[in-house]
Amino acid sequence: MNEIKMNRTRRAFFLRGGVVLGAGVATAAAAGALLPATCTAVPDRLQELQRELTNHQDREAIRQLHLAFTGAIENQAYETAIELFEPAANLNLSGLSAVGKPAIMRLFLTQYRQQQARVLHSAYRQSPRQQQDLVAIAADGAHATATFHCEVELSCPLAADSTLAQMARLQGQVAERHWEAGRLEARYVKTEGHWKIAALRYLAA
Amino acid sequence: MVTRSYRSLQMHRIPYTDLTEAQVTQALRPTASGPSSKSAFSDVFAGKHLKIVTTDGPRLEYNFRNSHELELSENGGKALKAGYGALDSRGLILLSHMIPGTQRGYEVVVDPRTRLATVFEVSFSGYAAAETAAAAEAKRAPQFKNGQRNREAQRKIWFGYVDDGTAAPAARHAYTNRLEGKGMYWRQDNDIELLEFYVSILYSNFIELTRFGGEMTICAPTDYIMVNDHQFIYSRIEAEFSGTLTVQIIDLFEMSQKGVRLGLNEKDELEYYLYSGNGETTGQIASFEVFGNNAETRGSRRLYRPLETFEVMTDDEVKDQVLNHAHAFGDGHGSGAAGMGGYKGELVTKFAGKSLTARMDNGGPVIQYEFTDGKQLKWRYEGNSNWRDAWYEMYEPDEDLYFFAHLLDAEFPRSCAMVALDMKNGLSTIVKGTTGTPFRNNETHPTYYFGVFQMEGAPTPPQYLRHGMTDEMVGEAYTWNYSPGNPGLTSMHLYATPSTYSWIIFQPDGSGGLQWSSPGWYSKLRDGVYIMAWVEEACNGTLGVILLNKKIMHDAGFGYHVGRQGGLSLSVIGARARHAGKFEVKKHLGLI
Repeated sequence: MNEIKMNRTRRAFFLRGGVVLGAGVATAAAAGALLPATCTAVPDRLQELQRELTNHQDREAIRQLHLAFTGAIENQAYETAIELFEPAANLNLSGLSAVGKPAIMRLFLTQYRQQQARVLHSAYRQSPRQQQDLVAIAADGAHATATFHCEVELSCPLAADSTLAQMARLQGQVAERHWEAGRLEARYVKTEGHWKIAALRYLAA
Repeated sequence: MVTRSYRSLQMHRIPYTDLTEAQVTQALRPTASGPSSKSAFSDVFAGKHLKIVTTDGPRLEYNFRNSHELELSENGGKALKAGYGALDSRGLILLSHMIPGTQRGYEVVVDPRTRLATVFEVSFSGYAAAETAAAAEAKRAPQFKNGQRNREAQRKIWFGYVDDGTAAPAARHAYTNRLEGKGMYWRQDNDIELLEFYVSILYSNFIELTRFGGEMTICAPTDYIMVNDHQFIYSRIEAEFSGTLTVQIIDLFEMSQKGVRLGLNEKDELEYYLYSGNGETTGQIASFEVFGNNAETRGSRRLYRPLETFEVMTDDEVKDQVLNHAHAFGDGHGSGAAGMGGYKGELVTKFAGKSLTARMDNGGPVIQYEFTDGKQLKWRYEGNSNWRDAWYEMYEPDEDLYFFAHLLDAEFPRSCAMVALDMKNGLSTIVKGTTGTPFRNNETHPTYYFGVFQMEGAPTPPQYLRHGMTDEMVGEAYTWNYSPGNPGLTSMHLYATPSTYSWIIFQPDGSGGLQWSSPGWYSKLRDGVYIMAWVEEACNGTLGVILLNKKIMHDAGFGYHVGRQGGLSLSVIGARARHAGKFEVKKHLGLI
């Protein structure tokens, strides 16, 4: 996902989230000024606002985690991508699957890094269906699910081992490159205050 | 005529010394007094002060005492003295000097009219550190199979301007693809003559006519920088060879060059001189970027280092592979679909049940064939009673012109036969591919044989007429798309001389990228129909032989390779072509 698109995505989120959060805080402040000090509703309202704030922070953290994953894949920073998963995570990207962090590491460092896979994710961009994105935080505040609509650039590595193919690979060439609409569905878990990917799979639209 | 004596070896066969840093320092010592030049130095800077500011690079403050001595302060540091030389290319100035006692120096191009400057910060003994860092970033092992390459010039390019105390100009020189596709002939003031082909934005292909007598062209990583619509800066480093740096200004109005060469030649002797030259264009072939792509942000330069990636095998390893792991066309299961045969033609099977004799002239092979079916044949040398079985594949690249191949005897070295049969006149050509060269066992080499074939229903062959070697393809450039998809497996061939060719790998944006060259041979079968053979010497060892048909812009061919992976293989090549253009170089090669 290029920088402009990432910023647009973030900006769009901040805009939507910011308006909601801003409205909530303003409302609470105004209500607090009008209500008597002894009113029992105030602590409840503050707790509610705290929950909303935490919820928004978690949603933003998950969106950042998602952007970190897509950015790492685009930049072929596979070691960075691996660290975004929790130890027992599972991953399924267009037919390539792995369960557990060691297997995910092998997937990225062999299938992806050495271009052994039949098809690779090489870039992501915004989807017209982005408005249907969903991030849901569980009541326990430690689990979440998300759906991110996107378009993925699928690259088919050059299978040949000729000089020509070797030189083409050095330049980042592939046999075939095309965009496909789909969505990334994910589960997340929060441990020690940080969100990690517990499961991630790509589904074509 | 140049009187310098060269080895008879092709450049890629010369075992350049892996010099130590101390040896390089010693060899560069004479650079302290500046370069030599056959033509007079420019005195444009004599007595003047020049301050160059670069973007993210050095700040250079010069005081020129005269036309060959300067004082330089780098980044405000202490001034140091050095010898220098400068040449004036119609107002564009090339300045060259080293920093005494170091392996560093600068080649600077200054345009006083615009106040823009491009600075080449040149150094030696920098490969190891750069390669170590690059390998760490790419998480791969560093490439030192061919040594530390201390002799290889390294360059950083900085774009900047002359600071005269007024506001800095907004523009800068920039990388460009405006020279891409152009060919030049140059004759320098030192009598050196060259052909240069700028068919990539990252590489160039050149041949010193006064050196090799018109044999192999050589490829080098290259920078192309635009000064204006007719003046350009070209620089190359002969990486994988001597490591010598060339920086030159090219003026396409005047067809002139002003340049500098800096490096250690094959005898480890210093070459540091300025040169002037005049030339002419040899042609302009197509480029394949979308319109509007000017390659100004081309990214970092990439290098192809085949001496690192070549899989050198021992005698025993090669012997084992060719005797025990030989496969032709997947042993009948087909080949090439995932490689260079994605556009292979329809398999010809109609010779099944037929017999023929291919009879080559002048003591060449005479081979009798019985085609068992569409994939297997029996063959024997005439006079030999033993028939051998072999897998084969046959194609029809032109009407009634058939091309098939099979392995020959299981012996070491091992050969294959690639046989063309012309049913319109009874002529035949065999390209015999054999493993091994005097340099490496797992390279291959071809031998051409011309003759006839005899077969029931075929024409009575002529007595005198034969297929033959040709120079008709010299100067031509073709793109070859070996597999479907975008971009698929695609390259461009440049048939630069009668005995060499180079291939260019397109970058994702369609611009020319990495390039390498090899010996190549061309024979003519019919008008517009040729057999072209090449050996990827010192980079892969593969023999490729294609029968190309300009009428349908398609080929049929075969690859012959021995390696640890896959053993000895004979496989199919099939690609679709586009004509990219032609360079008129024959007169410079003595062909007309």
